[in-house]
Parts: sequence; structure tokens; C-alpha cells
Amino acid sequence: MTCRKARKLMPLAAGEDLGPRRARAFRAHVGACPGCRKEFEALRAALGAFRTAAKKERVPDWTEGEWKALMVRATAGGRTERDAEERAGGPAPWPRWAVASALGALLGVVVLSVLFKGPVTGPGRTTANTGPGLEAAAPREQDVVSVTMVSRETGLQVVWFFDKTFDYEGVKQ
Amino acid sequence: MVLAGRAEAFAPLVTPYRGPVLALAFRLTRDREVAREVAQEAFLKAYRSLRRFDVRRPFRNWLFQIAANEARDRLRERGREQAALRDAADRAPAAADPEAGQDRKELRAGLLGLLEALSPREREVVVLRDLEELDIRETSRVLGCSAVAVRVHLSRARRKLGDLIQRDFPHLEEGR
Repeated sequence: MTCRKARKLMPLAAGEDLGPRRARAFRAHVGACPGCRKEFEALRAALGAFRTAAKKERVPDWTEGEWKALMVRATAGGRTERDAEERAGGPAPWPRWAVASALGALLGVVVLSVLFKGPVTGPGRTTANTGPGLEAAAPREQDVVSVTMVSRETGLQVVWFFDKTFDYEGVKQ
Repeated sequence: MVLAGRAEAFAPLVTPYRGPVLALAFRLTRDREVAREVAQEAFLKAYRSLRRFDVRRPFRNWLFQIAANEARDRLRERGREQAALRDAADRAPAAADPEAGQDRKELRAGLLGLLEALSPREREVVVLRDLEELDIRETSRVLGCSAVAVRVHLSRARRKLGDLIQRDFPHLEEGR
């Protein structure tokens, strides 16, 4: 191990947060390198002083009255919210990731079914499958997919046509 | 019992942690009043969220997670971070001067004031790992980040603290 690497590991080594292999290599280096040993001991002493100060520091505490009032407030307020939750049918039984995954899968199925169900009829363009015999006669027509968007406010329709490789063919109104 | 709807079981459940949660809030915010508010809110939220508690986890660490999130939100709201960072560099050296006649209490306050020189995330990992003595994995769960991220922040924070202590408190020895 180099001095540079050892120096980088010192903060974690000072709190014994290195894995066993790295810790062994670190100890071996520090045992053999007086400069790193001195620096490591200084860092460990500084952090030890900090921890000691923290342990001796007086931290605030609750009075019994404050604590009882808080517990009353917590259970009273919390009960109201929990009751409301139960009236509304209780919490969602699925975790968020499961709901998101299910929605994603559903959306994927919808998109795939729209894209691969076959061509959608667009204005001025006949893409409907009219019978089994027509498939061989007009294979190109069936490779076209169109997407129609309609504005609720103006009624404007925008239709996008794609061929089977999803190359954009143009916009028509 | 609390999960079954018995509200009166909540107080005995959380009473053993009332001190540790308040202490954690204080160490994260460095303000007694804000710490009290944070701890109060943490207990209120804990009661409301009990159904989401994973019984495989230590209850104390779950409370710590709520309190740490609340402290972070509170500090962000109040915009105290920038002010604290600006002030820390000025305050710490003043407290460090041994010839100023300060007592040990002031010295401790000066040392712990160095927490304010850390970024919020660094402060959180130092408090949880070094002061509350959670292991790396639990610290990462409490903070909602990876163990690697905890190690990175912890390493950076300890290096900063070590440098500041050696610079501002050169006369210190461990255990003083």
C-alpha cells in the first residue's frame, strides 16, 4: 500500500470502518511507515476528542409534562387521521414500486397492442383489413400505422403515419 | 398492540427513545428549540406512520430515520445551513483559544460547533455513525442512501473534522 492510499483510508480506519482485507493492509503500512503512523494517530486522537466531547455534552430532555402532552397530542391527532384513512378504505395494500411496475406494464401492453394490432384507418387512406384475400394483394397498406390526435378545444385532428420501420411519413389534417 | 389500534400502547413503546431522539435532533440541528420541534414532529409522524414500520428493523433506527428527515427539512426551510457554514469558521477558532480562559464546557461546545462546518449529509453520517454508533448499513438505511455513499461522506467528514480540530484545538488530547 502506498502512503497516498493509506492517507485516503485513514478517516475510515480511525473509526474501524474498513473491511478486513483493507484493514490488514492499512495496519501493515502504518506499522512500517512512521509518517503515516504519526498522521493516523493525530487524526484518531482528534476524532476521539470530538467523540468524548459529544458524550459529555448536555443534551436537552423532556419534562414529564411536555412528554405526556406530546403523547396525548400524538395519539389523539393520529387517531383522527388513522380513522379517516380507514373510512377511506385503508392504506394502499401495494408498495409504490409495485404499483408503478404494474402501471408501466399496463402502459406497455396498451402501446404494443396499438402499434402491432394492425393499421388504423386514417382520413383519406384505406388501411382496414377487408378480408384474408386482400392481405396478399396489398401487403404494403397493412404495414402502415397511424396515430390520430384530436384537440378538444378546436377539433383539429393531427394524424401521424408510420411505416413498418416506424419511419415518419408526414402529417395530414 | 399499537398497530391493532390501541393508542395507549404508543407511549410505552416510544418512551425509551424519547431521550435519544431528542439528542439526535439536537446534534443535527445544534439548536435546542428546533430540536424539540423536530423531535415532537418525529413522534407525531411515527404514530401516524406506524403501519409502514418494517418489524424486521430496529424500532430506534426507524425513529431516527423519521427524526433525521424532519431535521433535514427543518434546516432547509429555515435556511440555516448557509448561515451556519458562514459562522462556523469564525466561531470555532475563537472557542479554541486556550488563553481566553474558557472552561471545558466551552471547549466542548467549540468542538461540537465544528459539526456546523460540515455539509448536512456529512453531519448526518458523523452523528449517526460516530455519536449514535449505528453501523454503516443501518446509517445508510436511516439516511436512505447506499453504504458506499455513507463511507464517502463519513471519510470526508472525519477528514474535515480532524483537520479543523488539529488546526483550532492543537492542545487537545484524546479523552480530555
